[in-house]
Amino acid sequence: MITAEKLTKRYVGRSAVDAISFEVEKGEVVGFLGQNGAGKTSTLRMLTGYMPPTSGSATVAGYDVFHQSLQARRQIGYMPENVPLYEDMRVKEYLHFMGRLHGMGGKQLASRTGEVMELCRISDVRRKMIASLSKGYRQRVGMAAALVHEPPLLIMDEPTNGLDPNQIRQVRSMIRSLGEEHTILLSTHILPEVEAVCDRVIIIDKGRIRAEGTPGDLVATLRTAGTLFLEVEADPQEAECALARLDGVRKVNSHRLADGWTKVEVVAESKIDVRAAAYAVVAAAGWPLRELVLQKASLEDAFVELTDIDNAA
Amino acid sequence: MRILFILSGKELRAFFLSPVAYVVIALVMVLTGFSFKAALTILERSSSEWSLVLWTYTSYWFWLSYFPIFPLVTMRLFSEERKLGTMETLLTAPVRTWQVLAAKYTAAVFFYIIIWLPSVLYFLLFVGITGVDVVIPRGELAGSLLILLLSGIFYLAVGCFASALTSNQIVAGVMAFTLCLMHFLLGVFSLNLAGNLPAEIMDMVTYIAPHYHFQRFTRGLIDTRPIFYYLSLAAFFLFLTHQVLEYRRWRA
Repeated sequence: MITAEKLTKRYVGRSAVDAISFEVEKGEVVGFLGQNGAGKTSTLRMLTGYMPPTSGSATVAGYDVFHQSLQARRQIGYMPENVPLYEDMRVKEYLHFMGRLHGMGGKQLASRTGEVMELCRISDVRRKMIASLSKGYRQRVGMAAALVHEPPLLIMDEPTNGLDPNQIRQVRSMIRSLGEEHTILLSTHILPEVEAVCDRVIIIDKGRIRAEGTPGDLVATLRTAGTLFLEVEADPQEAECALARLDGVRKVNSHRLADGWTKVEVVAESKIDVRAAAYAVVAAAGWPLRELVLQKASLEDAFVELTDIDNAA
Repeated sequence: MRILFILSGKELRAFFLSPVAYVVIALVMVLTGFSFKAALTILERSSSEWSLVLWTYTSYWFWLSYFPIFPLVTMRLFSEERKLGTMETLLTAPVRTWQVLAAKYTAAVFFYIIIWLPSVLYFLLFVGITGVDVVIPRGELAGSLLILLLSGIFYLAVGCFASALTSNQIVAGVMAFTLCLMHFLLGVFSLNLAGNLPAEIMDMVTYIAPHYHFQRFTRGLIDTRPIFYYLSLAAFFLFLTHQVLEYRRWRA
């Protein structure tokens, strides 16, 4: 559905997007994950034809986004960041306007606007001025406007930005149900969002793709499988030294708890399970042990490891 | 064509749903009303070579109503879209930049024409109410309306340009006002300096200055040079506006 080939966007003095290539298959829900300023919005703007790329190319449903821009745009329902809407229009009027811009009219348009208003649950505000709507409603109006011309591809830039937790859940469940019939590319800087709605994740940082795959795959490629927590009754320094000598351990930290016990965190290489070995060390030293827990790595760890290079080493 | 129609419709709707349209129309009606009244007073006192139409469309009252129109009509056209971010929704729909520009400009010109219609009514009403047998010279009226339209076409294009430059409506408005007034004052200043300037420069100024164009056209003298002048300048500023809009997309 989308093919990006060495897509690049350079602003004066810096690259926002640096030769990224990726594909989105028909029917997939793909999350574009990155910190603010990583180049997500620039990429989406190039795909939707709002901004021409500095170099590289991209196609949407086989149409080049630059040379066949209008045909490509017809395939896309786009919800820009912060959902810009005409404040002085009524909801239904706005949907009509957007539909007519896409060449719709007559009965087809009337029934389709009714449909998308039902789908996005905004029928109750159809006659309200957009300026008077709450953020949650505006978000859904934006989504309805993106859907009105029945595009096969939906592109959403930070669809849950600025919503309260209930609204976020509603929007996510909508995205999931839309994902059954549409190809969706959404950008976000919120990890649970990706885990909740996406089939595949593309992690982007400083304009480059750092990793891509299913949320599960990404966690599996981590350099650590997680962190092992132990609580022992021992001197922190001694415990730290003893555990650090184990095979495959990358990092050990320890500190004394308020009740005199010592908490030790052990970070090991991803392929090695150090639980048994760590217990053996503790048992050999004769330290009383009251807790041994392995916290599995999450997508969040993957994200931090991939995008925060200074601290990952 | 269909796209242009939809987009202009949206602009005109926005004009008439906001108070701006009515404020502008009222302002122009009141001030041209004063202008008309002043013209009547002058003609009552003594006979004049100038007709009622000519006095009405060249008085100070008239100029006072004339210049605020352009910033008020054009300042929101592009600035507001930029501020709201709706330019992005618009330009990711299957719509070309020039279509957006053409639609907005057409809507502005259309609204501008509506603004001047009441002032034509004054002449008709005057004849109807007083029953006085005055001659309203048709040629002068036609010439006046034509120069109003021509200069408007140019100044509205300047206004579009100013609006495309910034996302701040006030800045756009002040810029449009300043640019239009500067163009106008060129003629007024050189008029005051007329004795001290060489003839070649004066020739150039009379070609450029709207003041002279108004004096000619309101006498019913239709000169093709200003027609060409205003239309080509308007085209030039619309071209600049288009370039600004595209430039913003290419780098924004």
